[in-house]
Amino acid sequence: MNPVIPAPVPIPLPAPVWLIQLLMVFTFILHLIPMNLLVGGAVILAVSSYRGRNEARHRELARRAAHAMPPVVAFAITLGVAPLLFLQLLYGQLFYTSSVLMAWSWLAVVALLMLAYYGVYWFALQQEELGPRGFWVIALTALIVIYIMRTFVANLSLMQQPQVFYARFLTGRAGNYLGPAEALVFTRLAHFFLAALAIGGLGLAVLARSWKAEAPELAVWARRYGLRWFQAGTGLQFLVGLWFLFSLPAEMRGAFLGGDRLSTALLIVAVALALLALIAARKSLAVGSVAILGTVSLMAVIRHLVRIAYLRPYFDPRTLPVEGQWTVFVIFAVLLVAGILTVGWMLFHFFRPAARESTR
Amino acid sequence: MNYPVWEPPMLGGGLIIGIIAILHVFVSHFAVGGGLFLPLTERKAYRENDAALLDYVKSHSKFFVLVVLVFGAVSGVGIWWTIGLVNPEATATLIHVFVWGWAIEWVFFFVEIAAAFIYYYGWNRLDPQTHLIVGWIYFAGAWLSLLVINGILAFMLTPGHWIESPSFWTAFFNPSMLPSCIVRTAVSVALAGVYGLVTASTLRDIALRTEVVRYAAKWVLVGTLIIPLAGLWYISTLPPLAREISMGAAPAVTIFAALSIFFSVLVVTFTYFGPYQHPRYFNLTFAFLIAVLALSTTGVTEWVREAVRKPYIVYGYMYANTLRVEDMSRVRQEGILKSAKFVHDHEVNPDERLVSGEDVFRVECASCHTVDGYNSMRFAVKGWSQPMIEYQLLHLNELKGFMPPFVGTEAERQALRDWLASLNPQPATREPADSGVQAVAPAASSGASKP
Ligand code: HEC
Repeated sequence: MNPVIPAPVPIPLPAPVWLIQLLMVFTFILHLIPMNLLVGGAVILAVSSYRGRNEARHRELARRAAHAMPPVVAFAITLGVAPLLFLQLLYGQLFYTSSVLMAWSWLAVVALLMLAYYGVYWFALQQEELGPRGFWVIALTALIVIYIMRTFVANLSLMQQPQVFYARFLTGRAGNYLGPAEALVFTRLAHFFLAALAIGGLGLAVLARSWKAEAPELAVWARRYGLRWFQAGTGLQFLVGLWFLFSLPAEMRGAFLGGDRLSTALLIVAVALALLALIAARKSLAVGSVAILGTVSLMAVIRHLVRIAYLRPYFDPRTLPVEGQWTVFVIFAVLLVAGILTVGWMLFHFFRPAARESTR
Repeated sequence: MNYPVWEPPMLGGGLIIGIIAILHVFVSHFAVGGGLFLPLTERKAYRENDAALLDYVKSHSKFFVLVVLVFGAVSGVGIWWTIGLVNPEATATLIHVFVWGWAIEWVFFFVEIAAAFIYYYGWNRLDPQTHLIVGWIYFAGAWLSLLVINGILAFMLTPGHWIESPSFWTAFFNPSMLPSCIVRTAVSVALAGVYGLVTASTLRDIALRTEVVRYAAKWVLVGTLIIPLAGLWYISTLPPLAREISMGAAPAVTIFAALSIFFSVLVVTFTYFGPYQHPRYFNLTFAFLIAVLALSTTGVTEWVREAVRKPYIVYGYMYANTLRVEDMSRVRQEGILKSAKFVHDHEVNPDERLVSGEDVFRVECASCHTVDGYNSMRFAVKGWSQPMIEYQLLHLNELKGFMPPFVGTEAERQALRDWLASLNPQPATREPADSGVQAVAPAASSGASKP
């Protein structure tokens, strides 16, 4: 049966495809940082909150680290909007179809996001009042964000398999599908989950530096503890990532194993950077962070190549007509720079040494 | 017709969008107005050297962050999610026309969120001057994002010259964009006052409570007084059909439009005689009463704004069921089942007429009708004979101006008719012995009043 794919909108794209793809991948990288910190952070906090029932240092770690979480959620959401916008522009006809097929699950993301967000605030602002019950709040929050991650993985996997749309439509009412449950989705989820734990751990190690003045012992221990998560997550990733690679369809796996020079090179560099991060993080958090940021960025590019490969038989956005809206684009670019400078200015004042100590 | 159709039972997609949108509008306008309220009140506290007032601003800012950053931001994402599910074709169209507008809005949103956090966490870290500037940056970000989104929303109702000469600029600077922006800004100011009343009513210190309650009441009054003036201008820019619908052509819409005015008058009256005249006796219950009235005003007004756009989703360009006006004649000839992608058969299947009929319903009608819930189809055709249904289908857009015409082949129309008729099995024809009189009576009365 021929795949049934909705026709793209009969309005030209407002910029060339490469530019939209560039922005999509770039903003996706920006989103990945807080998103990983959120998922990994929630899990690590849940563990510390649990162990904090008996161990004072875990309790103290959870208390302090919790305050970093509300902004992390906020930026995971804010920065997630842009890549999804560009994705809808280029691949809307695929993305909307897969979303409609799993409409209830997809809509549930919004409600769950709201719950998780309030969960994070509740945990951060009311720790004393919550006491040991705080564990349940943050554990439930962690489960929710993992479920949200599952739904994203499911929808974005379904989106790149238009050949199954029509059959899905025929089985059951549109909207009731929970998403594909094939092995590949699980390996992909496991891969992302481990990455989140690793980056969450690294984030904790970085955050602990700001506790040096007030709680030097805790800061030293928390740094080591965070790095343990980072190392465990990254180390295991060498197995899970490999498993993921081997669960990809043969042509795609082949591309990364020498079949396509660019793909293979990207993968090698990404893995090498992860190794470097693993070795260097203990000595220098800065080197470790930059290296892992490199890995994450390259992985985002690789992910984009995988999508292109999946869709090759069905759709290529380069076939769409283009009519650049350059004036508005330039305004966007200028405002983007101005916006970043403004936020930088505010952060500069906020973190300036002269800024009085927070007493919240 | 391009996409599979999601049919949430009872509510229907339209109502789900409506519910989320009303809550979001209520909070997001507060996000803008509150952005003005906070720095202005903070400045007042510094100028008058009023430590108690400053403490109030601090506690209000926490409430603000919890409501705006979380609920406001997530419900905004929620609207985007739902319109993509309910009207994918229209969402895709808006994104193609406005993607850079949205990207710009995203920059403002980003600055707004960052500023809100720094404002909230910065009370003890920033010097007053810088803290105040951060407050103003927040307001600038919030208002500018209103400006952009407002342009896109106004476009859907009054696309203006975009239809003949499509470009980002003709779309954005559409006829109702400016008046609608003023209305929304005034609503933001009023809502900032409403939320201010809620937090002020819980203050313990009586002198402070009296001061802040009166102050917040002024915000409500000033905002609500601007709304009708800008509102009249706004209404004058609407397409004639939309104006007719709100002023008598469709009773339900007219009632809601009247309710909108009624609720706003109540808000003004209660605020004037309550917190403004007698701030001392103001309490949380009263504050909630005003908040509920304001929410009701927002609710009915947004509902009217959505309703007057019918039968279109982008006025004059795309119908609510996402058929493009330019495609109508082609679909009329080729048939809707052939044009649609996610249907069981691409022609009426003689063995499964009802399945085909239901497919036609999904593609052409389900954007506004559910089978059993909101704007129920079963209820609408109750007691109608097949010829009566057929007659309606031939004249949908003429009998009710807010419906698009039916398009499709004759076979498709008949399949739809049969499916509609099957919704209410008619005891009179099937089982003559069974309560025939009752079944005929409503048929006669609605048959007499409807055509
Ligand atoms: C733009 C939204 C919209 C679309 C699309 C739409 N309708 Fe309606 N329809 C309405 C509204 C609103 C009402 C009025 C409900 C009321 O008056 O309470 C209505 C009423 C009706 C009624 C009752 C009329 C009466 O005289 O009471 C019928 C029958 C009906 N629609 C059939 C259809 C069919 C069949 C389709 C698809 C071909 C369709 N509608 C598509 C919005 C729509």
